[in-house]
Amino acid sequence: MLELDHINTYRGPAHILMGVSLLVRDAEAVCLVGRNGAGKTTTIESIMGLLPLRSGKITFGGRDITRLPTHERARLGIGYAPEDAGIFPDLTVAENFQISHWLARAPRNARPQSPADDMDERIFAVFPEVREFTQRRGLHLSGGQKKMVAIARAMTLSPSILLLDEPFEGLAPVVVNRFIDAVTKIKAMGISLLIAESNLHTARRVADRLYAIDRGEIIFEGDPRKAFENEEVMKTIRG
Amino acid sequence: METLIIHLLNSLLYASVLFLIAGGLSLIYGVMRIVNLAHGNIYAVGAYTTAWAVGRIEGGAPTIALYAILPIGAVAAAALGAVLEPTLLRPLYKRPEEYQLLITFGLLLVLEDVMRFIWGAYPLSASALFEGMGSFSIGESIYPAYNLAVIIVGGMAAAALWAFVYRTKFGVILRATSQNMRMASALGVNVNQVYVQAFTLGCFMAGLGGAIIVPQQGAVLGMGVDALILAFVVVVIGGLGSLEGALLGALMVGVVREFGITFFPEIELAVLYLMAAIVLLIRPAGLLGRA
Repeated sequence: MLELDHINTYRGPAHILMGVSLLVRDAEAVCLVGRNGAGKTTTIESIMGLLPLRSGKITFGGRDITRLPTHERARLGIGYAPEDAGIFPDLTVAENFQISHWLARAPRNARPQSPADDMDERIFAVFPEVREFTQRRGLHLSGGQKKMVAIARAMTLSPSILLLDEPFEGLAPVVVNRFIDAVTKIKAMGISLLIAESNLHTARRVADRLYAIDRGEIIFEGDPRKAFENEEVMKTIRG
Repeated sequence: METLIIHLLNSLLYASVLFLIAGGLSLIYGVMRIVNLAHGNIYAVGAYTTAWAVGRIEGGAPTIALYAILPIGAVAAAALGAVLEPTLLRPLYKRPEEYQLLITFGLLLVLEDVMRFIWGAYPLSASALFEGMGSFSIGESIYPAYNLAVIIVGGMAAAALWAFVYRTKFGVILRATSQNMRMASALGVNVNQVYVQAFTLGCFMAGLGGAIIVPQQGAVLGMGVDALILAFVVVVIGGLGSLEGALLGALMVGVVREFGITFFPEIELAVLYLMAAIVLLIRPAGLLGRA
């Protein structure tokens, strides 16, 4: 599905990702765990093409997308929900959804007649509560609602994979449970997930596999439960 | 009473043209965050192109053909914008803003010389269009019908632009790109395409402003710089990046300038700048701008 092969990414003069390789298979949920500044967001932004690679290769569905512009990656079916949700403040929630819906990769004649039907299917199945505030402007949403809309919006692209950057950060524990349910539903739809997460316990609840990243390098890959048995990983992540 | 009506119509006439120029400037800034110092000369290109085209066919062609050819200035300005954005501006987006200011200022000078080279140093006129519409009476005074047509075109342009930005798919994409370009691209928006379309639309508006005013006041070298300065006053008052702000600012400048010319002509421009300075002090983002 998605493969990163020894990617190196810089932010300005700073070398952030140092030969990162990872793999996300079909319908698999993978967590990328690390402390703040470890390189999680840089990895996700590199996959989306928001940051250029200095070297390395990214393949998606067997296609080399390393040099592809961001919008073409999105149209190929890579959905993205950033850490700050990235909701357009002056647009209503419905307008936030419509953008990617109009530009999604599926041919127009293959879509349902009504955009609302399509949204019902893809968005409201995951977050039915979003239905209550589709006419509200992004500016007036709470932090949790913004994160909900960001994930739901990424679903309107008909994605094959979702990249979620810290989707549970800043949420109350009860809301985290609600989001974990949503992630489970998304996975059940056959959509792969790559989730950047700083909390190992939360990551263990959603991930089939886990990568631990520290200072731009992958230091662990494997079963989430085994990460807890790995002293280096625990020490690095807990700080 | 009739004097007041004439003053109001003159204010609206001036505001219509100013809105077209400042609205385009504001649209480009709102979407692309570029302060286009060459915008005034894009307006001048619109004026010169229309005056030149009218001059070419004037005499042999029926009057209706002259009116039909009037928008050619707007089309020329739009075409110029469609070429300038990808070739001159796009390579500079990742550089500091000073580079964009420098290149657009350079473009202002280049366009001024290009217009001088193509059309010469003497003013061009398209007054046949102005005279062809005649005039109508307001009480005992007469008022040119062409001025009223300009006001109507300005009003229609404002309404069409509002509908385009707030009621169309492209408008939603345009607003999304203006609010968060990175996120828009991550949702599948081809930002380069949106930028060239926004820049072209902004130039079209400026060109339309030039095209519709040239029958009334002619095309002269330097008209672009004068228009740019007043357009900046408008966007400072209304808020750079806000179309509603450009409309409000244009109306305010139109009214103050008209009454300034009538009652205190010596300090008419000073009053406009003072108004802009007061707005800057009280609301630095402009009356309808967002900080």
